[in-house]
Amino acid sequence: MKKPGNFFSAMLIVLGSTVMISCTPEACFEETNAYLKATFYNNTSKVTDTPDSLTLIGLNKTDRIYNKESGVQPALFPLDASSESCTFIIKINNVTDTIQFIYSSYPHLISKECGYTFYHKLDTFYLSRNAFYVYKSSNNITTANEENIRIFY
Amino acid sequence: MRRISAYFISLLIFLPAGNLIAQDTVLFPLKLRAGIDIAGPGIYFSDRNNLSLEGYFSFDKSEKMAYVLEAGYLNYKFSQYNYDYTSKGVFARLGVDFNLLKPEISRGKYWAGIGLRYGISLFNSETPSFQHDNYWGTVTSSIPPKKAMGHFIEVAPGVKTEIFRNFSIGWTIRLKLLISGGGGRDLRPIYFPGYGNGGKRTAAGISYFITWNIPFKTKTVITKPEVVEEETEETGQETNQ
Repeated sequence: MKKPGNFFSAMLIVLGSTVMISCTPEACFEETNAYLKATFYNNTSKVTDTPDSLTLIGLNKTDRIYNKESGVQPALFPLDASSESCTFIIKINNVTDTIQFIYSSYPHLISKECGYTFYHKLDTFYLSRNAFYVYKSSNNITTANEENIRIFY
Repeated sequence: MRRISAYFISLLIFLPAGNLIAQDTVLFPLKLRAGIDIAGPGIYFSDRNNLSLEGYFSFDKSEKMAYVLEAGYLNYKFSQYNYDYTSKGVFARLGVDFNLLKPEISRGKYWAGIGLRYGISLFNSETPSFQHDNYWGTVTSSIPPKKAMGHFIEVAPGVKTEIFRNFSIGWTIRLKLLISGGGGRDLRPIYFPGYGNGGKRTAAGISYFITWNIPFKTKTVITKPEVVEEETEETGQETNQ
């Protein structure tokens, strides 16, 4: 402590920075939806294979999540937190099936700026026509970039 | 020859005297302190949703170190477009303050240094309503009141100065590191007493204290003599204070 002046200058800089950081309002930049993430695989070669065309729509909904889109890998399925199941109509390269997911939901804090979302635990799933083979890789459906199912087509 | 011998003997006498340096001393008053934070009530006047009351006691162990106990109360409400939140409770921090000023500069009146704290918080938080939107529509829900305990540590640099006899003012910056906010991984507290934003691993805050000092003992502190150049510099800074 040869020069207390330096200490006080440093303290003033830290004080100013603290005030600025504390008083700066922040916006929500984080992912606020926990999607079920599905990776597509070729059923013959068993390697990842992006469909040429993907259409995805919730049962009894009019809005399409994907509409004949190419290059979708992975596909993101939004689950209904007000229900314990939801069903999607999925069409991969002109082959159509319906898939029903059974799950539980629980609230999760994202951040003060973003508020809350719902995370899910995937219980099981059902395909109506078994047009595809589906494998469950993780039952934790969160905002993290983690694969939940594999769809072999 | 007799004269040369006299000079030589004189030199022998003064040689060991070079290592004998007279010690300077300072009478340093050790104090008990009690203070209140006026930043919290000040913020409350501009934001009626955030009432924070805080005070502290400290006890000088030596001219360099003091034991500190801080305690306070928080009543916090927050609302935004997709949720409402309340948090109410008490907190305590226990730690030490280190005075970085030399005793001859500080003299028990000035303090510039750094504090280390461990903090514990007991609080009740509730989310009366929140809503979440996605492809399937809007879901409205709530999280019932829940008691929780938070833990954190702090590094607290600051300054204090005596403005009247035995009364000081000063501020402290609080750089906090969360150990645990309670609530688990999913329902971390949005805000909790003593710490702040529980959703973040680190937080910062400021306290502005008015302090009553009670001298309880005077300690004689031995100070080391300094070279002339440094004495001039410090004398100048002392005058500035």
